[in-house]
Amino acid sequence: MQIALSQIGMGNPHESIHRMIPLLEAKGLAKHYGTTIALESVDFQVHEGITGLLGHNGAGKSTAIKLFLGILTPTSGSAEVMGKKACESVDVRAHLGYMPEHDCLPSNPTASEFLTHMAQVSGLPPVFARTRAADILRHVGLAEERYRSLGSFSTGMKQRVKLAQALVHDPTLVLLDEATSGLDPGGREEMLDLIRRTGKEFGISILLSSHLMGDIERTCDRIIVLDGGHISEAGSVSRFTRETQNIIVEVDNNLDELMKIMIREGINATVEGPLVIVELDSEDQYDTIRDAVVEADATLRRLAPRRHGLADIFRGGQA
Amino acid sequence: MTEYGGEVFDLGYQHYDGPREGRMRARKAIWVNGMRTALGLGQGARAKILPGILFGIVILVAVIMSLIAAAPDSGEELPTHADYYRFISIVLLIFSAIIAPELLCPDRREGVIYLYLVRPLTITDYVGGRWLAFFTVSMALICTGQLILFIGFTLGADESLTYLKDNWLDVPRFLSAGLVIAIFTTTLPLVVSAFTTRKAYAAAFVIGLFFITAIIAGIVTECDQDELPSRGSPSYERALEECEPQTGEWGKWFGLVSIGEVPGHVSDIIMDDENESPVARQVRKLPTIIPILWYLTMTIGSGYILWRRYRRLTV
Repeated sequence: MQIALSQIGMGNPHESIHRMIPLLEAKGLAKHYGTTIALESVDFQVHEGITGLLGHNGAGKSTAIKLFLGILTPTSGSAEVMGKKACESVDVRAHLGYMPEHDCLPSNPTASEFLTHMAQVSGLPPVFARTRAADILRHVGLAEERYRSLGSFSTGMKQRVKLAQALVHDPTLVLLDEATSGLDPGGREEMLDLIRRTGKEFGISILLSSHLMGDIERTCDRIIVLDGGHISEAGSVSRFTRETQNIIVEVDNNLDELMKIMIREGINATVEGPLVIVELDSEDQYDTIRDAVVEADATLRRLAPRRHGLADIFRGGQA
Repeated sequence: MTEYGGEVFDLGYQHYDGPREGRMRARKAIWVNGMRTALGLGQGARAKILPGILFGIVILVAVIMSLIAAAPDSGEELPTHADYYRFISIVLLIFSAIIAPELLCPDRREGVIYLYLVRPLTITDYVGGRWLAFFTVSMALICTGQLILFIGFTLGADESLTYLKDNWLDVPRFLSAGLVIAIFTTTLPLVVSAFTTRKAYAAAFVIGLFFITAIIAGIVTECDQDELPSRGSPSYERALEECEPQTGEWGKWFGLVSIGEVPGHVSDIIMDDENESPVARQVRKLPTIIPILWYLTMTIGSGYILWRRYRRLTV
């Protein structure tokens, strides 16, 4: 049974929205800025889970997000959020969270004050807003810093606050625009982990816009690839990163010795950095490789099928 | 010895199942936040200094005027509620010029506006909430002093109850006049603030606008000094009232150039009082409806420009 949209917003939206209705739906969606075409008649749907919106800078990712947030009006077509036209329905935004790419934090208030205020602006009463702010700051790992002013936060901490303000009102769907932008490798790893947890543990659906394939590959279940305002690919990430006929052997030591033994045993193997890539002829070769590792007295770290990365696909490696 | 033990449970992420009050709560949050910003609440001590000083001045002026009124009859004319507005007008202008930009400029400079616009809130809600916040603070600033003054006049009168009975109509009058002034001093600085992200630029522009237009209006409405009798002579005041400014017949219209005095002309009409400044003397020569229409045009026009400016804001 399809749930009436009027039910959205009553009680816990996470329970009341059956996924007969896509969270986001673009129908012939187009946005032109004068003669510049940002999006050209795209159709796609975003359902529960973590969806990646991948594309180069200027591919139309941010424009698509702003159309779904109702900030921009489409040139043609429609951007629907939970069955309602985004540019016509203000109330539906109470169930959306948005983390922009650019700076958007004031410098004066403390993290706790800011989040409490943003929760109230999302419609939560003050007492509940304070509780939610404290909870969310704990979940994003800023419980200790909650009484510090935002102006004194590092870039990584600011990114966490940006994510926290998007989650503070417990939205059904969060739109994250280049969430790892400006972070160092460590900070990026932590942010991706936080995004994964938000999607998997918190049960909040995510649309993650990024130009970094690694970010999408590691966090998303599904992917929509935008290129020059058009959709070039769409589907589950696992479909794109399907297994190949190669296996990866990673050892801690005696790599040269292992290679000699493998060649002697007739295994088609090549070295790629610290890894040995074996072209698999039959399932029996797993045993041969295991024996070779034992004979080489190497410490086996990994023996696993190799998967295509998204990067391989978009470099033209999709075979 | 007693051993205390305990376990900490992490319940993990809990979904929110409390009430959601939608757009009304969002509007209220913007309003409350705007008032706190204007008064420097929730910020460092430096942010509280200016609002504190300005509130202190308007209260002090009211107390001093009450004391003057309560003093034994000196033969001088006693101060009125309309006089109070004239005394504190400079404070109100400085307050609105400096504080109003605090409500709009940082939101755009720091990008917080983008977070507001993606919440259950329209741009009209945001601008309206900010406007109402500053209006509330301005009205409180204006009315606090007037109420102190009224209480002072009442207590200082020989017969307090008689004074109250004879002058209770002053209360709706000074509240209405306060409303007129507060609407003006809220709207104009906010519209200027909508065009820059720098608070200092907005404040300097508003103060400059008030003072420069006041100087220009003062020059063009000035009477020819050669035609006036000496200051202090019995005919001086009458001659001043009847004199023609150097700009001739247009002088009374040029009186409207002084932007800072526009609400003062209307409040004088409400308070049934006559301001003795050269500009006010000239404006009084115009039909009463003209300064009222000019006030409405400036206020509604500024409000519309403010709204349009934010409607065009691209994120």
